[in-house]
Amino acid sequence: MVLFVGFILVLFAAYLAWLIYAAIKFPLPFVYNLRSLWGRKSSTLTTASAISLVVAIFIVVLSLAQGISKAFVTSGLPNQALVMRPSSRFELNSSITRDQARIIKSNPLVAKDNMNPIASAEVIVIKLFNKSDGVGSNITVRGMEVTGRSMRPQVKLVSGRWFQPGLSEVTVPVKMQLRFPELVVGRSFKMGGRQWDIVGTYDAAGSSFDSEIWSDVNDVMQAFKRETYSTVLVRLRSEDDLGPFTLQMEEEKRLKLEAVPERSYFKELTKAGDPIRIIGNLITVILSIGAMFSAMNTMYASVASRTKEIGTLRALGYRRREILASFQWEAIALCVLGGLGGSLLSFLADGIQTGTTSFDTFSDISFAFTITPRLLAQGLFFSVGMGILGGLLPAWRASNIPLTEAMKA
Amino acid sequence: MSQPTAPIIHIQSLAKSYFRETLEIPVLQGLDLDIPAGGFYALMGPSGSGKTTLLNLIAGIDRPTGGLLEVCGSNLNQLNDDELASWRNENIGFIFQNYNLIPVLNAFENIELPLLLTSLTRAQRKEKVEEVLSLVNLMDRRENYPRQLSGGQEQRVAIARAIVGNPKVLVADEPTGALDAKNADEILEMMQRLNEEFGKTILIVTHDPKAANCARHQVHLEKGILDKTVEVNR
Repeated sequence: MVLFVGFILVLFAAYLAWLIYAAIKFPLPFVYNLRSLWGRKSSTLTTASAISLVVAIFIVVLSLAQGISKAFVTSGLPNQALVMRPSSRFELNSSITRDQARIIKSNPLVAKDNMNPIASAEVIVIKLFNKSDGVGSNITVRGMEVTGRSMRPQVKLVSGRWFQPGLSEVTVPVKMQLRFPELVVGRSFKMGGRQWDIVGTYDAAGSSFDSEIWSDVNDVMQAFKRETYSTVLVRLRSEDDLGPFTLQMEEEKRLKLEAVPERSYFKELTKAGDPIRIIGNLITVILSIGAMFSAMNTMYASVASRTKEIGTLRALGYRRREILASFQWEAIALCVLGGLGGSLLSFLADGIQTGTTSFDTFSDISFAFTITPRLLAQGLFFSVGMGILGGLLPAWRASNIPLTEAMKA
Repeated sequence: MSQPTAPIIHIQSLAKSYFRETLEIPVLQGLDLDIPAGGFYALMGPSGSGKTTLLNLIAGIDRPTGGLLEVCGSNLNQLNDDELASWRNENIGFIFQNYNLIPVLNAFENIELPLLLTSLTRAQRKEKVEEVLSLVNLMDRRENYPRQLSGGQEQRVAIARAIVGNPKVLVADEPTGALDAKNADEILEMMQRLNEEFGKTILIVTHDPKAANCARHQVHLEKGILDKTVEVNR
C-alpha cells in the first residue's frame, strides 16, 4: 500500500514537474487560458465557488487541528516536569500522596526561589457547566499552590484578581466566557457542596490553560474530600536535569513515580485533535471528489465548445503535448481561483474561539481557529491537486481529438 | 534553355480511404498531380468528390492510405505527428472558410500564434506581425478581438496569420464562402497579390466560379479521381 501511494506520488510529482517545464518552455500563451476562463464566466465562477467551499473546509479543518496543537504545544516549559502516578497518562487519573509531594519538592534538582522549591502540588477535578447553546460540557478545574501561577508565565490576569486560598474563589479564562455564559466575574457557582466565587479572568495566550478554571489546591481538595494530589509540577535547575530527575523519581523507593517533561505531556494531549482531523479529512475527501468532478465537467464542456480552436492550433503547428499542457494549466487556474476564494473564505473563521471534548480527559478543550500562511499554502496546493486530477482527462481529450475531426467541428 | 523546376507538390498514385468498422470508403483513388512553386490552383468538383480531403492531405492535416505525397521537399508519409506539426508551421499557411480565429485573442495575438512556435524574439515577432497587418490594411484594428471585426476583416486577419510565418504554400478551404461579394472580391484580390507579388503557391477549394477564375489552374475532381486540369485565361 505504501509502495503504491509512493508510486502515485512520484508520478504526480513528475507530471507536475513536466507541467512547470511546459509552462516555461511551451509557446501557447497562458493569457489564452485565462481569457477562455473569463469568457465562460458563469461556469467558471460556479465551479470556482464549489472549489472555494471545499478548500475553505479543508483549511478550516486543518486550522482546528492547528488550534488544538497550538493550545497544547505552547502549554509547557522546557525545564519543567510533571510528576504523576506511573502509567496514569493524564493528570486526572493520577494520584500523589502528601508525603510523596513533600519528598518530590525536596529533591535537590528542583529549582529554588528564596530557599523555597519552585513546585506546585495540584489537583484536577472536572465540573459540568452549560455552554451558550444550553448543552453541558465538562471543564477541568485545577487546584494549585500559589507557586503554580508563576510557573505558567504565559498566563496573565485580565480582570479582577487571582483566587485567594481559603476563600473558595476561582479565576476563569477570559476566552471561555463567550462559550460558557456562567463564567462571569462577580457570579458564583456550586461545586463539591460549596459555593465558589468567580473573582477574576486570565488569558493563557492560546495554551491549554485557556480551558481550565483555577483555584487553590487545598480548597478544591477539601470540597471534594480528596486526600491526595493529582500531580506535582516542578521546575528543575536546568533542562539537562530532566533525565536524572526522571530516573530518581522512578528509583526512589518511597516514590516509584513517573516524571514527564511538561512539554511532552502536553504534546501527547494534541492527539485529542485526531478525531476532528480524521472526520474533517473524510469530509474534505468526499467534497473534493465532488469538486474535482465539477472541474472536470467544466473543462470537458470547454473542450467540446472549443474543438475548432484546438483544430486550428494543431493546424498552425501546435503539438498534442502543448495542447495537453495548455488545457491542464487552464484546469489548474480554474481550481487555483477556487483555492484563492477558499483561502479568503477561511479567514472568516480565523481567531474564532471554539472547543471540543477530549476523549482522554473527558473535559472541554478551548482553542481558536488559527489560519496560518502555511495552511493557506496547503489549501492552494490542494486546489492545484484538484486542478491536475480534475483537468487531466479533459486535457487528454483535447490533445487527442483527431485533427480532421477538430477541423470539421 | 532553362531547367524544369521540381514541383513544390508532387502527388503520385495518391489514395485515401475512410473506414467505418470493416467497410472501406475510398475518397481519393490513384491521384497524380504536380504543382509547381508559385502556382495558383483551384480544386473544384461536386460535394464528396474529395477536394477537401486532397487539400487536407497536401496540408499535412490528414494522412494518405496509399501513394506518394511530397510537399515542399518532404515526404509526408515519413513524418511522425510532431514532425508533421513542425512541418505545417514552417511550410503551410491556412485560410479557413469561417476564419477560425481564436475569439479570446485580439488580431495581433491571433496573427502572432504561428510565430510563437519559432525561435524569433518578441521584438522580431512584433515587427513581422505589424508588417503583415499593414499588408492586409488592418494596423488600426490590431487590438480588436474577432467579435469586433467584420467578416471581411476577420478573413484578412486570417490571411495575415497564414502568411506571417512566410510559408511556401497557402491552402484555403472556401475562403470566400462566408463573405459578401465585395469582401469576397477583396480577399480574392489579396490572394492574387500574394501569388503574383510574393510568389506564394496557393491551393483553394471552392465552389465559386469567380474564386476559381482567380486561380491560374483549375483541377476538377470527380468521385475521388482527377477529372481534368484546366489553365485559366485571365
